Amino acid sequence: MSTAETPINDSFAAEAVAYRPRPAGAVSAIPATGTKASGATAGAAPTGALTVEPATPTSAVSGTGRPRRRNHHAEGLEAGRRSTRTLLWIILAAAMVLYGFPFLYLLFTSFKAPIDTIAVPPTILPKEWTLENYTNALGRSGVLASFINSAQTAIISTLLSLVLAVPAAYGITRYKTPSGRVFIMAALVTRMVPPVAIGIPLASMMSSAGLADTPIALSIAHTTISLPLSIWLMSSFFEAVPNDLEEAATVDGCSRLGALWRVVIPVVSGGIAVTAIFAFLASWNEFLFALLMTAVRSQTTPVVIANFQTQFGLDWGSMTALAAVYSIPVILLTLLLQRKIVAGMTLGAVKG
Amino acid sequence: MSSRTTISRIAALGGLSTAVLLAATACGAGGPAATSGSAASTVNVLVEAGGHAELTGVAEQCTKDTGINVNFVELPYDGMFNRLSSEFSSGNVSFDVAALDSVWLPSFKDAVQPIDELFTDEAKKDIFPALVKEANVDGHFIGMPAWTNSEIILYRKDLFEDAKNKTDFKAKFGYDLAAPTTWKQYQDISEFFTKDGMYGTDVKGGVETEWLAHVLQAGSPMVLDANNNVVIDNAAHKDALDFYTSLVKSAPPGAAQVDWAAAQNLFNQGKTAMTRFWAHAYRQIPKDSPVAGKVGAAPMIGGSAGVAGVPGPWYLSVPKATKNSDAAKKFVKCAYDHNDLGIESSLGLASRISAFEKYQDKPGYESFKPLIETLKGQATATRPATAKWQQIVDTVLVPMLQKAVAGGDSATLLADAKKQIQDLLK
Amino acid sequence: MRISDRRFALYLMAPAALFLTVFVAYPLFRLVADSLFKISPIAGGPRDFVGLDNYIRAFASEAFMGAGWRTLAYTLVVVALEFALGLGMALLFTALGRKSEVWRTVFLYPLMIAPIVAGLLWKFLMIDNFGLIGTLLHQAGILQNPNQIGWLSNPDIVLFSVAVPDIWLTTSFMCLILFAGLQNIPGDLIEAARLDGAKAPTLLCSIILPLLRPVIAVALVVRGIDAARAFDTILIQTNGGPQSASETMSLLIYRTMIRFGDPGLASAMGAIYLLAMLGVAFFAVATIWRPGKDN
Repeated sequence: MSTAETPINDSFAAEAVAYRPRPAGAVSAIPATGTKASGATAGAAPTGALTVEPATPTSAVSGTGRPRRRNHHAEGLEAGRRSTRTLLWIILAAAMVLYGFPFLYLLFTSFKAPIDTIAVPPTILPKEWTLENYTNALGRSGVLASFINSAQTAIISTLLSLVLAVPAAYGITRYKTPSGRVFIMAALVTRMVPPVAIGIPLASMMSSAGLADTPIALSIAHTTISLPLSIWLMSSFFEAVPNDLEEAATVDGCSRLGALWRVVIPVVSGGIAVTAIFAFLASWNEFLFALLMTAVRSQTTPVVIANFQTQFGLDWGSMTALAAVYSIPVILLTLLLQRKIVAGMTLGAVKG
Repeated sequence: MSSRTTISRIAALGGLSTAVLLAATACGAGGPAATSGSAASTVNVLVEAGGHAELTGVAEQCTKDTGINVNFVELPYDGMFNRLSSEFSSGNVSFDVAALDSVWLPSFKDAVQPIDELFTDEAKKDIFPALVKEANVDGHFIGMPAWTNSEIILYRKDLFEDAKNKTDFKAKFGYDLAAPTTWKQYQDISEFFTKDGMYGTDVKGGVETEWLAHVLQAGSPMVLDANNNVVIDNAAHKDALDFYTSLVKSAPPGAAQVDWAAAQNLFNQGKTAMTRFWAHAYRQIPKDSPVAGKVGAAPMIGGSAGVAGVPGPWYLSVPKATKNSDAAKKFVKCAYDHNDLGIESSLGLASRISAFEKYQDKPGYESFKPLIETLKGQATATRPATAKWQQIVDTVLVPMLQKAVAGGDSATLLADAKKQIQDLLK
Repeated sequence: MRISDRRFALYLMAPAALFLTVFVAYPLFRLVADSLFKISPIAGGPRDFVGLDNYIRAFASEAFMGAGWRTLAYTLVVVALEFALGLGMALLFTALGRKSEVWRTVFLYPLMIAPIVAGLLWKFLMIDNFGLIGTLLHQAGILQNPNQIGWLSNPDIVLFSVAVPDIWLTTSFMCLILFAGLQNIPGDLIEAARLDGAKAPTLLCSIILPLLRPVIAVALVVRGIDAARAFDTILIQTNGGPQSASETMSLLIYRTMIRFGDPGLASAMGAIYLLAMLGVAFFAVATIWRPGKDN
């Protein structure tokens, strides 16, 4: 169960968003019973709603004529007194240090001389800074190939997930059929399956299909993890889009499919981006399926990182170097796009 | 534009792109195509990290000799056993040769081919007798030993030769400080060096092979006797366990989770004065480690039955399910012929007696004589050939050791272990 | 020619449904089928129908029952701590307002880290003899010697130690979700309560938590499922040891299936495990989540 441990990979936020809190209101268990009434909020500026900054949620309210109040919600809970604020800042600083320290330790260790990485007793900072671990790790045969495999697998899995999830989510939210409701429940059940249970049957299915040790086989396995999540995320994004848009399009002569393709999808493009990021991360960080299903051609980097823990020595230095190289691009990418992510995920919450 | 047309268009487009995608991505970045019938002059060899190092030089030579290209697939030890299990059980294998740990041979004997033709009389003379015996399962040879190993004693020569240490030790224990040859000496020396932030030795609660070596030294077969009866509760096992746990007070804490890598690191960092460890570790001491150049090697200590070690050989086997049997067998033969090249690798081991003897007197190979001596020991024997061995180790032996080093009563623990093993073998 | 809305919806859902059927439902079906047989680990070996024998063996095995309790304990600890810490951080960020936005972003970073990397990292922070945590605590004077606490070698506490990376990874997200939920609480309510003289604890328990209930409910149920499935981090830190003290269900099934070569028994364990999770999840959904149960 590699990916589900990290919520971003298996974002329950999607579900949380789908079952967003309505002040003093009943919560429906199924997103299909979305509220069109409050669509007015988001409908006024669809793209605006998607890029709303959660810290100032009220900017989305502008279209409805209600008086604008800055930091309306935050004001209520924001700390007033100076002394409280200072205390809180101190606590925040301590929390950040504690939280950020492990990864910093990883980074520092990657720059130590190999023998010092497992020194007894251990140190935090390197005695001397060196790139030896990086050259060792990246120079090992198969490492660079594994990066390519990881990227390839993640991209295919993401595309597959989107191609399947977007229409499905649209069908579920727009046409509230009983089968839609069943489907959502089935997605929940899929999520409960421990990968260890379907890993072996999947591996042997792929072998029989002649797809053993290919990125496509692993991508399919990864898609089984990211698909339920993608469906739920996209459902909530589609819910935020009012029906008027498609009605307007079909009145103009568009088919339903055309309306979806030409009108709705551009509107939820931000949501699609968010879903893509989650699906990508789910695949990028996955370990168990990769361990079970890859060999020469398609081994991904998480397996390679685990490989460094051998019976014959602790190559902690190379492991940290490789882990750093593997994690940093993803961290940077997600931090760059975090506004979109946070906005997308809290969309439903705001809209409520 | 009707929905129906659009849908069929999209379906066609989807089908086409999927096909393209499938074709494009059938090739991963890791290497050339698999062996399934196509390039008959390439073999995929499944190895663990140490094996990879061992066989790289051999593979290069074999490519020159036979024209066979060699691809290595490297997996961590645990992952490798699991991969072997799952591939053998599915019937589709992604490799043509696998380097198997000796304890796995009984589990996988039905999945690998006999290679009797490679075991000529000459070959049988040049391979350690215990290994020849082990490679023969149910009347056929199913693996060619690629390298073998055993635990020996590694110790800090500088500390042992220090004049003050020598006088203090003689004063305390009444005999000269030298590399230990008996259990008692090992205990005394460990006790002596446990001071000033250093420890005499380590105790490995996380792995079982070392304790088993002591069992051999005490004169009993390991866990099972020749008739597959469970003998784990006999006197030899108890003596060995008591000896094993007696060293806890002279060892670093956390013994329950200390495994090979941790113990090796402790020694290389200068925290232990002696260690019982696999012979390859001698040549693997990093040049910038605090103990580099200060280490001596000695054969394994002897118990009442003499010197004994548990050989840890790895065998090259050819799975039945491979489509490349001929190339695979050629590679295995070639690997045997060039077995001595393995000694130049970072693991630095071989399986042929002649290979070891070629290097034993060269500087830097001081660990070889002790290794050969241990491997030739009277009581040296290989582990029981039962398919359930891995399970016995994981569920009975290691937990028992962990409890013992934490202070459990050895007699009770051994009795419990006996029951558990009997249940497993039913 | 226009097909009905229902048909159209079905066509839209069909590809995804087909995918899940082939790649999830079918392997599950095989799982249940396999659980009724005793299967030899080598291909082509015997495959004997044994009915419910594997299920009986599973329930009778100490390893299985132990793993079940351990999984439950692990899940409770992980979810409780990540919820508490996440809520605390969310309240903190809310209280500090706009200025802490940067830090909120930084707080997200553990989510990008692969669980396997997190497991390795924390293993080397907690391992005896070379673990940094022991050394730091010793230097701070809290411990008498760096190895006083055997985080990963003491069977009594190892289950909680292996939970640490999981909590570290998931707290960010809990924080994010709860923060989003907090944004939704109308300020008027808070102001009114404050004017009425409500102190912070009352505010929290009587107003904030009840309003957040739906969000919390989803979060707890889903994170509970995820925690119960935990695998990567535990595998790499302790591989289930010492003495199986950190072996959860996922690990036990993995070992039984692959290491001990008993696919039949492992499948039975997997089936029981899945049913248990389904049961608990639906129970939780029914009790915490039912519409109309709020306010």
